[in-house]
Parts: sequence; C-alpha cells; structure tokens
Amino acid sequence: MIQQDIKIINRLGLHARPAAQLAQTAAKFSCDIQLAKDDVKVNAKSIMGVMMLAAEFGSYIQVTTDGSDEKEAFEAIKKLFDDRFNEEF
Amino acid sequence: MLVLKGVAASPGVSIGPAVLLPGESFAVTRQYVEPGEVKAELQKIRTAMQKTLTELDACEQKVLSTLGAEYANLMSTHKLILQDPALKDSVSKKIRTEHLSAQAAIFLTLQELAASFDKIEDPFFKERRNDIFDVGKRLVNNLEGGKREFLASITKPSLLVAHNLYPSDTINLQENQIMGFCTDVGGKTSHTALLAQSLNIPAVVGLSTASKDVQSGDTLIIDGENGLLVINPDKYTLANYRKIQRELKKTEALLKTINHLPVITEDGHAIKLLVNYDPRTDNKENKRLITDGLGLLRTEFLYMNTPTPPTEEEQYQTYLSVAKRFDMRPVTIRLADLGADKLPDFPLDEFDQDENPFMGCRGIRLFLKNPELMHTQLRAILRMACEVPAQVKIMIPMVSSVEEVRHVRAAYDQALKEIEAEGKKPVNRVALGAMIEVPAAAIALDGMIHLLDFISIGTNDLIQYLVAVDRVNQEVAHMYDPCHPAVGRTINQIIQTAHKRNKKVSICGEIASDSKMLPLLLGWGIDALSVTPRMYLRVKNNIRNLNFETCSDLAQAALLMGSSEEIRNLIEQNDKNEDS
Repeated sequence: MIQQDIKIINRLGLHARPAAQLAQTAAKFSCDIQLAKDDVKVNAKSIMGVMMLAAEFGSYIQVTTDGSDEKEAFEAIKKLFDDRFNEEF
Repeated sequence: MLVLKGVAASPGVSIGPAVLLPGESFAVTRQYVEPGEVKAELQKIRTAMQKTLTELDACEQKVLSTLGAEYANLMSTHKLILQDPALKDSVSKKIRTEHLSAQAAIFLTLQELAASFDKIEDPFFKERRNDIFDVGKRLVNNLEGGKREFLASITKPSLLVAHNLYPSDTINLQENQIMGFCTDVGGKTSHTALLAQSLNIPAVVGLSTASKDVQSGDTLIIDGENGLLVINPDKYTLANYRKIQRELKKTEALLKTINHLPVITEDGHAIKLLVNYDPRTDNKENKRLITDGLGLLRTEFLYMNTPTPPTEEEQYQTYLSVAKRFDMRPVTIRLADLGADKLPDFPLDEFDQDENPFMGCRGIRLFLKNPELMHTQLRAILRMACEVPAQVKIMIPMVSSVEEVRHVRAAYDQALKEIEAEGKKPVNRVALGAMIEVPAAAIALDGMIHLLDFISIGTNDLIQYLVAVDRVNQEVAHMYDPCHPAVGRTINQIIQTAHKRNKKVSICGEIASDSKMLPLLLGWGIDALSVTPRMYLRVKNNIRNLNFETCSDLAQAALLMGSSEEIRNLIEQNDKNEDS
C-alpha cells in the first residue's frame, strides 16, 4: 500500500475537467485507489466522488493506492497533480 | 408589468412570447418490483445506459463541431458520470437488494448524490450537482422510452422560462427557436450560463420565482445586460427595449470589424486601451481581442481559499503564464489588495477583524504589516520579468502617503538586489506605480509622484471614498455618482499633477467603460483606460467615434460646474448634438 499527501497546485482545483482526467487515469489500474480530504473518502475511479471532494487550489489530498499495480498507479496520479492537469492556467 | 431582478448570465436583450418548461418531477410510476422482475429491471437499466451513452456521443460530436473542444469536454464529463461505478453500483444494488424499480433506484441514487453535493460550500463545486442531474434526467427519459420532445415541439421563436435548465437542454436551444432563457436558480459560473454565453443567447438566472410568475404566452423581455426579466411590459418599456435591442445588434456587428483598428479618436488622438484580465475566466473570444496589453491583474485570488499563502514559485508560474498569454504587450500586476471584503483563510500578522473594513487594514497597509508576503510577491514578479520581453509594471493598491511608497520602493530595491545577486536581470526595468484611490493620495500626489513611474486611478474606491458612500448600502447607493463635480476635479487634478512630471495616468474602474464619462476622461487627458474584455470593443468603438477637441472643451466646461445635474446635462446635450 502506498499512501501520501499531494498538494493541489492547479489554480482551479479538482473541478470537472481535472476530476475527469483523474477518474479516467485511475480506471486504467486494477488496484484500489482512494482519495481523502478532511473527513471525506472517495474512490478515485468515480468522477462524482472526486468532484465531491470539492478540493480547491492549495488543499491537500491523501492518495492511497493498494493492489498489484499500486506503484504505477500512484506515479500516474502524482504526475497528473504535478503537471497541474495540463491546465493552461 | 412586473420586473424581476436576477443575475445577468449572458449579455444581450431578447423580446418574445414565453414558453414554460414543464417542471421536471421524476414521476416515479412504480416504487417496487416483484423479486421475479429484478432481472428484467437490471436489463432495462443496461439498455437505458447504452442508449444514453449513444446520445451523449452524438451530442459530444455536435458540440465539438459547433462550440469547440472546451464544451465538448463537458459532454465527455457527462459520459464519465454515466459510467461512474458509484452510480452504476448504487442503482443495481438498490434494485437487487431492495427490489426497487429501475426508475426509483435512479431517483434515490441521484437524491443521495445531490445531498452530498449540497453540503459543499464552494459554489463552483456545488454547481456540479447539476451535471449529475442532467445525466440522471437523460437516463430516466430513456428508461421511459424517450419523452423529451417538449423543446422540439416549439414552433415559433420564444423565450424559455424554467425552474432550472441543464447544460444539455441549453445546447439544443437554438435549433428549437429559443431566443433567450431565464431560470429561478443558478449562478454566473454554472455550465448553463457559460454555454449561453458561448451561444450568444441572452440569459438571466437566479430569478427565484420566474417560473411561478410567468404564464406561457406572456410577453417577456430578457435583459441579459442588467440581469432583468420584464413580464408583460407596458408600451413605453417595450418601445424602449426594442430600441436598445436594435442598437445592440448594430453595435455587435460593427464591433467585430474594428478589432484590428487602432484606438484613436476621429481627429487622431491616440490612447492606450488595456484589458482587465482574470485568468480564471479567460476564453476563446477574449483571446481573439487585439489589445494594447494587460492593465490590471488582480492577484487576490492567489491568496483566497488556501490554507497557506501562495509560494514564490507558484506565483512566478502564474505570472509567467499571464505574461506569455499577452506576448510582447505590457503587463500590469497589482500587489494583492487583501483585507476589506477579501480576507484570506491563513492567519495574518497584527490583523483583527476591522469594524469598518474599507477604512481599515487593507491593500498596502496590510502588506507593510506582513512584509514577508510583499517580499514574496515582489520577487515572483521580478523573476518573471527576467524571462519575458514584455514591459512589466507593478501597481501598489490603497496608497495614502509618500511614506508607504518609500517603503515599497525599498522592498522592491531589496528584492531586485537579491535577484541580481542570483545572476538574473529583468529584460526591461520593472515599473513601480501607485493606484490612486484614497482622496488623500490624490490631493497630495505632488509629494510622491517623483517616486512613482506611473499612476492608475482606481475610480470605484476613489468615488466611494470621495462622496463617503458605501455602494452596497441601499439607503445611500444612489449617491454614488461618477458625475459629482468632486470626482471630475479630482481625476483632472491627478492627471495634471502626473503630466507635469511626465508620468502616464490610466484608469481601471467601471468609469472607464461608462460611455457617458468617456468624453470627459479623454478631455482631461487620460493616457490609458483598462476595461473588462466584454466591454473592450464597445469602448474602443466609442473612442473612435469621439472628437478629441470637442472632448477637451467639454471636459474644461465640466470642471467649472458645481453640480452633478449640470454635468449630466452637459453630457446629454453633447450626445444629442452628435446624433443630429
């Protein structure tokens, strides 16, 4: 199991488009991927779950991957955050 | 006649007969099914999901070809919602274990999801519950064998009134003869509003009771400029709005033709026309504007909704992409004007909630008490200026004395020295100017102008402080008056003081896009105006139709007048002369 806090550095936070990218990326892996913010825990493969976090710029998301491809899944998700979800802004 | 006030979601004016969108009760005809029917219900859901997916695919293609990738993305988000395991699992679980009907299972699942979204405070995220309902509605429609024929049955140009309108409804509006719409709910950031803007359909949202006050067939005026809905207007109002509508149409067509033309009066006086820019709401239309540069980047948004102040690197990245967006053109960044109505979540030194926040610790006052915040922002801007060829300008908000300017200068010099010690150098010298919005600074400008490279007049606050009127207070709001003689004389005095020292003056308040005040501002000798992207071409067009010599005479005459009424009459008289 890999667990780490990641900071949201794209300006608009996890709004519809980043949430879509995140859910699509997560769906490619077989392991369980969980996101948590404050008291809310959601399945990263669910776009509605991701949007429900209402994660704004500057907040931290705890990412947990657990399963056979947990390492690859974690790297892929971390990369999305680091690349600011390719926001023009 | 009844006038309702809402939120202007998409500009323009539409007049026509009303059609009411029938309320969207999810009519659940049957709550439970027999155990033997469970399999059939599950199959129904699968078929409806498949059908909805095909529909969304078609919709995505259509949006892609008409509105572009940005909005097509919205449709692919809807596809993801449809395929979301949270939706699928909950629906089939409800059918399998509780023996709910397919409809009831969807309905309850949507309600549960909506309840979670209702708990969210941020309006931007809260709005997303509408996307979920939009998908749910499609799904239910397909479950019932497709009944969404209502919009298609409209045969003449009409205005649509609805309690709530989903983005997918909005996309089909134009081919269904809808010339404008209004809704009870919704905000400016809703997808519905954004789509209306991109489709150029006037829209007003957040009207609370529109769907109850309007009967199908009523004559409506949707005023997307001012956020008004007029129900059954009287003759005078109707005639007035028809005139406004004609003028808007004429101007819209004309505006597109002047984008590439210079900002210059008919007798050859040139000024700079800049744009107030917010990276969060930039769009294709804005990017097409040919401007003289960025006149005001408000940076408060970097400090809001975040538990810690933005780091130098974060700010640097943001400023860099802003500068790149504006290419070689000048970029003016205002130091964060925090305080008053913009209080960040993180703690600030020596800061208690003020009793009178607009006169309290805000703008540069707050930065001087939290010097590390200012230092970080100055460094980020200066570092950006090392990377781009554009002229970069820094603007100090809420200056009231020369001492404050001196302190910021010292902080600027310090930050620059550090950056030079790190082996970098701004491509162009970074200008440091002040926003003049406190009357004391306007009156005593001669004592600080030598320390400043440029002046920008923040007329919104300046007027508020000059006439001591809080615009939010309904008792006195009408006294907030740009035509007050004190306003004109102060603006003129600022410009003349700056010009004596060969410093340029710009204006970045709402007054800059006020067509009535424009001749006076030009006449007093303003060098630049900064306006919102939406107003840009209108203001440019107005400037191109003015005669600078006439403006100068007008402006001098206005300075001698002692009342708003006289000044207003002067402007109106001049308008009439121009028309005839």
